[in-house]
Amino acid sequence: MTALLATEGLTMRFGGVTAVDGVTLTVSEGELRCLIGPNGAGKSTFFKCLTGQLRPSDGRIFWRGRDITGADGYVIAGLGVGIKTQVPSLFDGLTAQESVALAVRRHHSERVARARAAMALERLGINELAGRRVGILAHGQRQLVELAMVIAPEPDLIILDEPTAGMSAEETRRTAEVIRELNRSHAIVVVEHDMQFIRSIAKIVTVFHQGRILIEAAAEQVFADPRVREVYLGKAASRC
Amino acid sequence: MTQIRSTGLQIAAATVVSITAAWMLPQILELFALINATVFVSMSLLALSLGLVWGFCGILCFGQTAFFGLGGYSYAIAAINFGDTTGAVPIALLVPTVIAGALGYFMFYGRISDVYMGVITLTVTLILYKFANSTAGDQWTIGKAALGGFNGIPGTPPLNLPLQPDQALDPRQVFILAVICLLSCYVVAKLILRTRFGRVAVAIRENEIRAELLGYDVRRHKLGMFVLGGVMAGLAGILFANCVFVSPTMFSLSYAGQVIIWVLVGGVGTLIGPIVGCILVQMLVTWAGTLPDIDANLLLGVVFMLAVLAVPQGLLPAATTALTHLVRRTAG
Amino acid sequence: MDYAVVVALQILSGIATLVIVSLGLAVVFGMMRVINLAHGEFLMLGGYCAILAHGAGINVWISVLALPPVIVGLFGLVVERLLIRRLYGRMIDTMLATWGLSLALIGGVNMAFGNTVSGFSAPLGSFTIGRFHNSVYDMFLVLAAVVLSFSVWAVLRFTPAGLIARGTMQNSEMAAALGVAPDRVYAATFAAGAALSGLAGGLIAPLSGVVPTMGTLYIAKAFITVITGGASMVTGTLTASGLLGTVSTVGTFLTTPVLGEVGLLVVAIVLLRLLPRGITGRFLRQSL
Repeated sequence: MTALLATEGLTMRFGGVTAVDGVTLTVSEGELRCLIGPNGAGKSTFFKCLTGQLRPSDGRIFWRGRDITGADGYVIAGLGVGIKTQVPSLFDGLTAQESVALAVRRHHSERVARARAAMALERLGINELAGRRVGILAHGQRQLVELAMVIAPEPDLIILDEPTAGMSAEETRRTAEVIRELNRSHAIVVVEHDMQFIRSIAKIVTVFHQGRILIEAAAEQVFADPRVREVYLGKAASRC
Repeated sequence: MTQIRSTGLQIAAATVVSITAAWMLPQILELFALINATVFVSMSLLALSLGLVWGFCGILCFGQTAFFGLGGYSYAIAAINFGDTTGAVPIALLVPTVIAGALGYFMFYGRISDVYMGVITLTVTLILYKFANSTAGDQWTIGKAALGGFNGIPGTPPLNLPLQPDQALDPRQVFILAVICLLSCYVVAKLILRTRFGRVAVAIRENEIRAELLGYDVRRHKLGMFVLGGVMAGLAGILFANCVFVSPTMFSLSYAGQVIIWVLVGGVGTLIGPIVGCILVQMLVTWAGTLPDIDANLLLGVVFMLAVLAVPQGLLPAATTALTHLVRRTAG
Repeated sequence: MDYAVVVALQILSGIATLVIVSLGLAVVFGMMRVINLAHGEFLMLGGYCAILAHGAGINVWISVLALPPVIVGLFGLVVERLLIRRLYGRMIDTMLATWGLSLALIGGVNMAFGNTVSGFSAPLGSFTIGRFHNSVYDMFLVLAAVVLSFSVWAVLRFTPAGLIARGTMQNSEMAAALGVAPDRVYAATFAAGAALSGLAGGLIAPLSGVVPTMGTLYIAKAFITVITGGASMVTGTLTASGLLGTVSTVGTFLTTPVLGEVGLLVVAIVLLRLLPRGITGRFLRQSL
């Protein structure tokens, strides 16, 4: 399988703190990868390095074999990487339809953009929100609009940072469905906390701990591993 | 409501208003009032330029007057030297464009934004002001044009027909030309906002990070809009130079603040708002100046404070909202 | 040698003036993120207080040091209550409203006192170094700048009031939960900033006299100094004033006063380009 996104010894230092320490990781075409780990493990920092929001202190990032280390965020996004941030980052003054169309407009004409936007909204079951201003939508709805903005341009790789944060059970279920369905045609990387959600979609899981990769394996293997439980719940819990 | 807001309709309405004004006002106003009206038009264009970059790209430029003054000064200097304004106009448009390009590149590619950009742009117009003020004396001459320091350049040649330096435009023709310029810039702005470039600029105003995450080069878009605003301000400066003379006041802190006031009063986020705001405030200022007992500044200041407290989103948005409510209530 | 000393003293004096004029704005902007465009007019009011009091025969030190901060501080309290309070969080609206206030104050003072310059000569006389005469008052201003900066820093760092103010600015809900009334803190902080501005006006009144538009001369420089200084109020203002004041004074000595000013502005631009969050956005970040 072709490697889409790969990191080699990626390191991110802030002053005296090493948030990400020599992470080497490869995401291949069609993969569904979940990044998990307790708070402060470095997942979000790693995410920001991948999306170009942070410039890594050390190490390299490759896209389809090409070195893109230190590239600006917009360049990486323009390569065909759909990015959804932890805190919904939206255009409050635009309508849902306009926002999603703008996402597609990057590489397509106005007509195609409008059509694809409508399709994406439909796919996520939020087409009734098309004409509404994003600023007045509820949190869960905003997450879905942002997801629509990410999937509408049909990117090669989709990276999602905590996509279900603040969502209701129904919205979470819908998101899991969409992700599984998307995975049929796109590679996806999900950074998440919600264990139930992860369990429902995970294939290969990478566990972060103190800036490094603790274990990277198939989902069942990872969840059964005592080290993972220890890292999440503390030593006492892992012994049961 | 979306019908009323459609671009085509708005452009048509603006054209009708402009043609009416250009036709009627020269006939009903005396010479002095007509020249004043031309000044108002030139300032409206300046207001439009700031309204565009601020309302539609989120760039709060405190120093839009820099390009206004550069346009005026370049025109005067070039026209005096050439003896013919045909070559002066392109130069007067080129100078603000280049400076806006350089300053914009400096700021946006340096990732400078919000209040810090406001300070830098303010500083630039102040530098130009202080510099222009200090150019009294004979050594400060470019070709045949003496810069004149605080007094400015007194004999600004009026615009003449292209390549016919003996055929100067009379004040009536200058007024009509000014209205045409204002209308054209308005139409250009409207059309650009409909392109992808324009839509991305608006998205940048909403959320810069998200625009980047969609793959758009935010710096390039900001630079483009900023230069466009600079050219328009420069054009306003050329028109201003034709009615009034060119002086350092064009760069002053007072003018810089007034432009912001015009846009604020008219409404940030619309194109007509700043124009309306400018005309209203200018009329208010002129009227206040005629009052015998009350200081004009005092009156203006009180009006602004009340306006902000009562109508904070600006006059035009407030008027539109009020109108919408009225229509809804009478309709249903 | 004498000349070098004189230049050094002039540099100190230039820095001191910047510090004094900017501190009030720094407090208000740094603590409350309020851009008070009427700051220059608070200065002007302070100057008029000093001139009028002195003209009425009141002791010059009371006229300059005691009355302006008190009167302008009270005025600031009124302004905060009537105007600023309604516009919190709305930076642009605050700018417009304070611009309106600035115009109104200029107009009002013009109507009341006319627009001719009035003033009195600086007290304390002069001293000589070699063949150069220097104003003792200039040195007094340096002392005043030091005392003011230290006082503001000390109040913020050591007093309960300062701690409460800092806490409320960071997280007003938390502060309210702890029994502090955020409204009171905002009012007091704005009044303190106004008082500082008024005091600055009183201090510089003997230098060049007062006129209704004097505020406009200082607002731009104060604004630029505060922004260039960055988030930390005292250290930011001190470092920015130090740098910009030096450039301006040296520039004036080497060329002309105009180019000295232009030099100050150019350095500010370059500084902001290199340090987009101001000086204390990068260095001395934890300081007050």
